[in-house]
Order: sequence, then structure tokens, then C-alpha cells
Amino acid sequence: MNAWNRRTFLQGLGGAALALPWLESLSLAAPSTTAPTRMAHFYVPIGVVRRGFFPGEADHVIPKGNLGNVMQSLGQQDPNFSVRPLDQLTPTLQPLEAIKHKVTLLTGMDRVFQQGTDVHAQCASCYLSSARPYTVQGTAWPLQRTLDHVVADQIGKATPFATLEFSCNSHRDNKESIYFDNISWYGTGHLAPSIRDPRQMYRRLFSTSEISRYREVTGLVLEDARSLQQQLGSTDRQKFAEYFESIRAIEKQMARLEKMRAELAQTPFEEPTDAYLPRGDYIRLMGDLMVVALQTGLTRVATFMVGPERWDTPYMFDGLFDKPRSHHQMSHNQTREIDDLLKIDRFHMEQFAYLVQRLDAIEEADGTTLLDNTLFTYGSGLGDGSTHQYNDLPIIVAGGGRHVRTGQHLNLPEGTPLANLWLTQAKLLGLPLQEFADSTGTIPDWVVR
Amino acid sequence: MPPAGKTRWYPSGLLVLILVLVWLPVRRGLTQEPASWSPGLVRGIQTYCLDCHDATTAEAGLDLTALLQGPPAGRADSLRQVLDALDFREMPPVDAPQPTAAERAEWIQTLRQALQHLAPTVAYPPTPIRRMNRFQYNNAVTDLFELQCVVFTLPERMMRDHSGYFQPQSGRMPDVVTVGSRPLGKSQMIERRLAGVAAFPQDLRAEHGFDNQADHLSLSPLLMEAFLKLGESITQSPDFVPRNVGIWKRFFAPPAGSADTSEVLTGRLRPFLTRAFRRPVDSETLQRYVGYVQGQLAEDVPFPEAMKNVAAAVIASPRFLYLYDRADSGTATGTVDDFELASRLSFFLWGSLPDEQLLELAERQTLSQPHVLREEAVRMLQDRRLKRFCDSFPAQWLQLERIISATPSRELFPDFYYLKYRDSMHMMLEPLLLFETVLIENLPVTHFLDADFSYRSNLLEEAYGELASNPQAVNQPGGQVGPLKFRRVALTDRRTGGLITNAAVMTMTSGTERTKPITRGAWIASVIFNHPPQPPPADVPPLAEHPSGAEQDLTLRERIAAHRQRSDCRGCHEKIDPLGFALENYDVIGRWRDRYENERPVDMSGSLFRQHEFQSVVEFKDALLSEKDRFSRGLAAHLLSFALARKLGAADQAAVDHIVERTAEDGDRLQTMILEVVLSPPFAAKSPGRLDGGGDARFEPAGPQARPSVRQVSPPQTLEQP
Repeated sequence: MNAWNRRTFLQGLGGAALALPWLESLSLAAPSTTAPTRMAHFYVPIGVVRRGFFPGEADHVIPKGNLGNVMQSLGQQDPNFSVRPLDQLTPTLQPLEAIKHKVTLLTGMDRVFQQGTDVHAQCASCYLSSARPYTVQGTAWPLQRTLDHVVADQIGKATPFATLEFSCNSHRDNKESIYFDNISWYGTGHLAPSIRDPRQMYRRLFSTSEISRYREVTGLVLEDARSLQQQLGSTDRQKFAEYFESIRAIEKQMARLEKMRAELAQTPFEEPTDAYLPRGDYIRLMGDLMVVALQTGLTRVATFMVGPERWDTPYMFDGLFDKPRSHHQMSHNQTREIDDLLKIDRFHMEQFAYLVQRLDAIEEADGTTLLDNTLFTYGSGLGDGSTHQYNDLPIIVAGGGRHVRTGQHLNLPEGTPLANLWLTQAKLLGLPLQEFADSTGTIPDWVVR
Repeated sequence: MPPAGKTRWYPSGLLVLILVLVWLPVRRGLTQEPASWSPGLVRGIQTYCLDCHDATTAEAGLDLTALLQGPPAGRADSLRQVLDALDFREMPPVDAPQPTAAERAEWIQTLRQALQHLAPTVAYPPTPIRRMNRFQYNNAVTDLFELQCVVFTLPERMMRDHSGYFQPQSGRMPDVVTVGSRPLGKSQMIERRLAGVAAFPQDLRAEHGFDNQADHLSLSPLLMEAFLKLGESITQSPDFVPRNVGIWKRFFAPPAGSADTSEVLTGRLRPFLTRAFRRPVDSETLQRYVGYVQGQLAEDVPFPEAMKNVAAAVIASPRFLYLYDRADSGTATGTVDDFELASRLSFFLWGSLPDEQLLELAERQTLSQPHVLREEAVRMLQDRRLKRFCDSFPAQWLQLERIISATPSRELFPDFYYLKYRDSMHMMLEPLLLFETVLIENLPVTHFLDADFSYRSNLLEEAYGELASNPQAVNQPGGQVGPLKFRRVALTDRRTGGLITNAAVMTMTSGTERTKPITRGAWIASVIFNHPPQPPPADVPPLAEHPSGAEQDLTLRERIAAHRQRSDCRGCHEKIDPLGFALENYDVIGRWRDRYENERPVDMSGSLFRQHEFQSVVEFKDALLSEKDRFSRGLAAHLLSFALARKLGAADQAAVDHIVERTAEDGDRLQTMILEVVLSPPFAAKSPGRLDGGGDARFEPAGPQARPSVRQVSPPQTLEQP
């Protein structure tokens, strides 16, 4: 029997890893006195039960059945902009109690659905891009290069990994569409595959043994790539650029990893085993890996899907229910399942709160915490799993205290695109953007200048 | 927009000008005058179409006003849409005024002719450069090294052959076969393979398409890394030993002591690289690889190890990993060269690299001669490597992966579950065996609609109940879970037999508690007629599994009728619902029923394409058979799309028509259809785009939609560092 469990892994993290600095001297980043800003996204599938999540909606009507054709809130939201202190937390938000002063709740933001695909497919895959409807040619989705990659194009050059994609989709069937299962895309129709297996993620982050052999092989095959490229037509040439980019990304990553190897080798991280982990432990282990990657500078940009959209196959929510359950199917039956759905919402929030606190427990060289330097966003592509609404989305940004005023509840004016938040984040991360996707501006009264 | 009323004449004058300009080049390209509309067709469009499809209404995105002018240049796809809607009797809607049968027939004829005239002006859609999918990669590596085991086990290769039954050269399937279900059977994923090699993720099937579709197969850094690791893990596997590697002696074994190393390496690497890259290798490339091995040998790496390392590099080279058409070869009219043709052929029928014979014929430039091409295709259809075609095309065509996740309610269908397994393990093999039999025995494709035989296990016979081939003999022990024995059984009851009424298809198109006629109808429309419906609007909720209190006494048909009251849903449902309701006599797990649980009788009656009334499943099958050319057309289009790794466009339609005609002339035989696909013009056509002269464009951004402008691309020098 293998005695390994998540706790021994965490001891490794809790001990040596907590002391790990941002490995700045070893990265290619320009030396600076302040810790760099990171961005991470925690995606929650299938919306939330509004009564449990949103302030002031506790008495709103419970959606009955699958209200797929409603696509908007059943109850009234305040259409006006307001800023309030975040003091009294709603039941679903309770796990954040201890850290609420470092959190911003943002309500009232919307997206626009582009007719022609499944609601769930678009709500996840286009969450981080949400291009203006019908502007992207040749695809049913308003999907472009997603925020994480756009940001990493700018700030991911100096880290071994430009971005990292985590997923806690533990399904082994490939039954459902890739559009339910990915929030991170290199571009239209070109997904950035996520890693679901903690062991695979561990190896990706920490294993460096193959570096020199890669070098020789890539050197050899790159010549083939160059000669092949001369024989391709112009359209194919554009697509074939992906080969060079892939090799180049690996080359760079190898170079940076190699530089960090000595430091990382001192941390006694144990490789996770393939033993079954209860769902909460699994999510937190994947989260720990994300935290350590952000902490050490393996990457500055990460996305984290806590589960896939619309998978009808059930899975175990260990500790919540005795039997495997399908979150999606439950969401179509709020009248009967509301208590259990609230448990799931709360469960997801507990995982988020755990990671927020992990980030805040890590002190950086300049005395701030990792959380202060990370824009860590909780969000879902649906405002409610029953109404399938794209408006009034549940969004929380934890951290970023160095840049934004926290401990507040901002209610944004009617019709504020979610992309306004993405634009604001991109600007905070140093991108000189004037607009992103269907943005109309930035989030007011939030950024500290 | 100019203000309305003020300068009205102006835009319409402009429109005329544009029309003239658009027409000019098109007319030049034609040898004959294009078909013009009869007054009847113009009147027909005005009377029956424009209410819903004019510039302001434009339902389904179709504005047909331009059509009044005559065949619209450059809009062959829209014209096809109109033709199909008329041909499949989808339009005008049921409750709208209808043209007479003679009118409809005349218009269909005119539109067909117009499309044929347009065809030479419409280019074939290009198949973009793409990486191999993991199934092709697996086969190609196996063939390159002549491996005696698989590289890694693929669940998408659904049916495992345990008895060596698959002998296409015999032209006959044995009466008894032993097969296994890789995805659902016990231990069926365990087979001789290379240890320590991890598969990369499964490539998913495109919607209404195949997992080899070019636009789906891209390469991310993560996947590139996986490919690099994979190449190495293959040659470093403890099972990569002489016993398992057919080319060991010719390639990996140390040469006799006195031999000149450079000569040996050149002599070994030239055929190896030619095979791996599917065309002769130039001397510069050859020297690079030779030099790499020499470098290794100089560092005292043992000979076999150095060869393993170079082999690992070769299978990470883009010339191996990518499938592509060169822009600087073939003819100016857009025909592939003989090597590209060899690759098309082998990836179509063998899912892998061309063999030496194909490469030799390509070298001699004779492969493209029609009689040679035909002979080669015939040879390939007799080769056991044809199993790869049977491991990929039929399961994907039939969307059979859906059976894997079908889980009927345990309470309602306890018989579906046995031991720790499910009946679907047996079910999924039945349609695959039918496909292989029709292919190997070269039977008419109409067997897919209605066959007088099937292959069934004892368990499957029992599961079918009254639809068993011999209902008296069903109670034999049959709960096998690993290798399964299937027997060829004669079917006299026409309620069963063929693909559509298979237990597998009936089960995978049902919900957990009730049948889903609309899902079944959509399956028939997509798979059988290659005419998939538009996806439903997102804002329409699905029908609940359980009837609500008020619905308890309704039949499913009544519930669905009550459910879809929106007028914009009706068009599609008028098309797919009758196809699905026709199968209502088959329950959630494919058993026969005359009545629903609430004792209401099943009403399956309807009409096919609003033409063939049916009152029973047998009549439905007769209706399908009377429309067998439509099915044949659907299958031919699926095959051509699979062969070309792309969706078909308007330019391909004439070829599909021709394939169907030729196949029908030869008794609708499946092998004939495949040969006609190989001999069709699009199979030899390519449109790889312009070959840009000079300039290093490799880091140019791929266009606005591929990369936002903020993306900054590093100069190429970073790559050159080894």
C-alpha cells in the first residue's frame, strides 16, 4: 500500500515551498524591487444558485425546471452603479469571511450570447474572450485568443511557461464537446489543452531531465521544418507556423527551467501518486500546484477549471453526496435540488477560499503577499444554471491589493460587459490595450492610482 | 446608407453594375452558356420562397431575391441549400401553399443543371496542412518500424479481432468470429504493446465529421512536447527489441566490422527517411541525419542507441508528423503529384504511410494513371491493413462512440446490466461486423438499410427478445465479458437487420428513461442522408425524462407536439421528427414494443420526404430503399469527406453524383463506391494556395483572427540556437 497522501505533499509545500522566493534572479525578467503581478482564473461551471450568492436576492423566485429560453434574471437587479463595503456575506460567499477584506465582489456584468451554439459550450469557451457577436469568421463561437494568452504574450515571455492550464475535470469519457471543457484558447478553434492529472502537472513543472536530448532533436528537425515551409502555400504556411512556435516555446521553456532547476531541486516536493483522491483533495492539490507555479515564477498566468460545463455523466462530490451526481442535471431542477446545488456552490467557494488563503500565506521578497500581487478571479459563464442567463454574472476578484481597492462590493451599471473587467485586468498587468473583446471601458472606482 | 427615398435609384443602379462585374469573369470561364431560369421557376421563387426569404425576412440567413436574376455566381453553396430543401421536400413548409409535383421536379432539374454549370468556376475547398491524429500516428509508427505489437492501445479502435477473422483477400467473413470491445469489454485494452509509452489525448471527432478533419488537428506546444517525448519513449521502450521490431536487422543492428560507416548510414537512412517522409529525401536532409548519427558515434554512443536516437528524431520531424500538399509540385491545374496521391490513398484506406510498392509507382509516375490507381486501390482493399479503415471510418460515420456513455436507467432496464458489465459491449460490435462484412464480401450498400443477416452473440440475441433471429433458442448461456463469440444469423423478420434498427443505434439515441425520437431523427438525417439538421436554438429546453402529472396519459408524440409550439422550430422538426418517430417501436435498449408503459399504442406512422407514407417499420424500410440513391449519396459524401480530411463544398457535389451513378451501375457495391471515390476528381485535386516567392514569412502573424495585434513575435534567430 502506498502511504502517500495529499497531506504529505502539502507538508512539502508548507515547509520548504512557503519559503521559496519568486526566483527572479534566475528568471529572465528585468530585475525589479517590487514583486511581479500575476493573473489567475478560477472558473466555476453551470452558474450558481442566485439566492445563495447575490446580495439582495435571497427572496427572489427559484427558477423552476430548465428555463433555457429565459436567458435573463427572473428577479430585478439594481441597474445603477454602486460601491458598498463588503461586510455581510451571503451564504455561498461565507467561506471567504476570513479574507473578505482582500476580496472584491463584482455584480451586474453581462455577456452577449451568439445564437447558434449550445449555451454551455459558448459560456465556457468564450468566457475569457467574448468577442463581439458575429465578428469572428468561420466559427459558430465568438471566440478569439483568450485573455490569459493575450496577457501572456506580454508578460509570459520571461517565465518558463507562458501560461498554465489546470482542469479538475475528472471524467474519463470524451463524451462531451471540447467547448464545454476549455476556457483557454490560443485562438479560434485552437484550444490550449489543460492538464487534469496532478502527476502530469507535477512532471511538467518540475521534471527537467530530458532537456539536453530535446535540444539535439529539435535542432535536427527544425531544419526539416524550414525546408518544408518553403514548399507550402501561403495559407498552409500560416498554419505551419504553429510548429515553429511549439518548438520555440519548448526551447525557451527548457532554457528557463534549466536555470531554475538547481533551486527547484532543493524543494522536497513529492510526486503525487495515481491514488484516488476525494474531489476536494484533488481540487486543492491541483490548486497547490498552481500556487507554487505562480509563487516561484514558473508562470505568471494560470487558468483553473474546477469542473467542466454540461457534462451529463455524474461524478462524486466526496463528502457532499453519497452517490455520483451530475451538476448539470441538478441545475435544471432547482426547485427540488436547491439545497444540494447550494452545497455544490459552497463547496466550490470553499476551494476558491482555500486557494485565496494559500496565496495570502505566501510572503514575497518585498513584504507583500502573493495574493496582493495576484488578480485571482472567481467566475462563471452563466448567471444561473437554470435560466442559462449570460447576464448578471457571479464574479469575485480576490487579491490584487497592490493595484485595486479591495473589501468592496461593486454593482456595475446595467449592461456592463464582462470584458470591461478583462480589459481592466490586462491594463493592470501592463498591457497598452484600449479595448478587449466587446469591452466598452474599464471598471470604475476600483483601480488605485 | 443613403436616406430612404431620396436617392433610391442610385444603389439599385450600383447593384446592376456589381452584378455585371461579378458576371463577367464567370461567363468567360464557361464553355457553355449558363442555365437560365424558366419563367415558371422565377414565378415559383416569388410565390413560394420570398415570403420568408427576402432581404428583410431572410429566414435561415437566406435572402433569395438575388436568385430571381438567374443562377447566382459564387453562391453555389446557397444554391445547393435551395436545391436540397426542394429535393428533400423540406420547403415550402407543410402548412404553406405547395407547388405541383411536376413543378418541383422541373425546378430541381433546372437547379441541378445550374449547379453543374457553376461547378467548373468553383474551387475545391483546400485541405489545410495538419498533423497526424493519434490513430494515424500509431499506424504510421507501427508500419515504419514493422512493429509486432501496438504502440499504445486506442479505445477508438473499437472492435478487437481475437480469431483472425479479418481476411479481406478471402472475400468472405467466417460464420463465427471472436471479437472484443476495447472501450467496454473486460481486459480488452490489454494487448501487446510497447511498455512505457504514453498515448497523447484522443483526437475528437468533428461534429458530423471525422477525427481526421484537418481544421481540428493543430499542434500546441504541449502536444509538440508530447510528440517529442513520445518519439523517444517509443525507441527507448524495453519492448523496442529485435523480436518486436521488423526492421531491426536492416536498420538498428550494428554493421559488420569492416563496413564504411558513412556508406552504411546513407544506405540505411535513405530508405528509412523516404518511407517516413513519404517521398524521396534530398541529399542535404539525408546528410544532416547521417551527420547526427556520426556525431553520436563519435561520442561513443553504441550503434543501435545512435540509430534509436535518430529514429526518435525522424518521427518528431514535421515531414513525418504533418500531412500536407506541396505548393511547388503537381500540376498548375491543382492536381496532386504521384507521391501526394500515394499518401492520400494510404491514409484513406490504411490510415498510415504508403508502402514500398506505392512509393515505387509514385517514383515512376505511373500511380496517377487511372488503371494503375484502380489496381492499387483494389490491392489495398484486399490487404489486412484495411482493418485500419474499418477501425476508423464506420464507427465515426455511425457516431458509435455515443454508445459508450449510454446508461439506461437501472430500475427500468435491469436486463441491460449483467455481471459488472453492460449489454452495450455486445451491441456496439453488431453494426461494425455488418460494415466489415458488406465491405469484405463487396455487398450492396443497401444492406446497411435492410439486411437479411447479422452477426450476434448469444447475449445479444437474448437482449433482442422477440427480434432475435430465432426467438425459441435464446436461452443459451451467453454472458461473456471479454472475447465474445458472434455468429452469423439469418434474419427473416424484417423489423430487424441493417444499421438503423440496431440495438446499438436505438440505445445510443435514447435517454436514460425514454426514447428520443428527435435525436433518432437527427441521427438518420446526419448519418444516413448526410443532411444534418441545424442545432436547436439554445433557448429551447429539452423535454423532461419524466412526463409531468398533466402529461401522464399522453404518448411521446403528443408530448413533443405540445412541447414544440414555436413556429421557428417546426421547419426542422417536420424534417427530422418523422424519421425518428418511425423507430418508436424500439424501446430505450432496442427491444420491440407495441405499447408505451401507459398502455397507449405506439403510433409510428409518417411519411419519408413527404412522399412515402408508412404505417410500419417494414414499410419505413421499404421507403428508405425506394430512396436508396439518397442514402448512397450520403454515404459517398461521408467517404469522400473522410478521404479528403475536410468538409465537402459545392465543387465536390458533381463528383459525389458521379460516384453514386457509377456505384448504382455496379449493383451498389461498397468496394465499387470506394474505388469511385479514389478515382473521383477531388481525390486528386489540391488547392494548397499560393507559393510565396522569397521572404521569410514564417513568423508573420497569421492574420487578425488568429492573433491579436498585441502578440509580439520574436525574431527567428532564437530558433537557430541548438
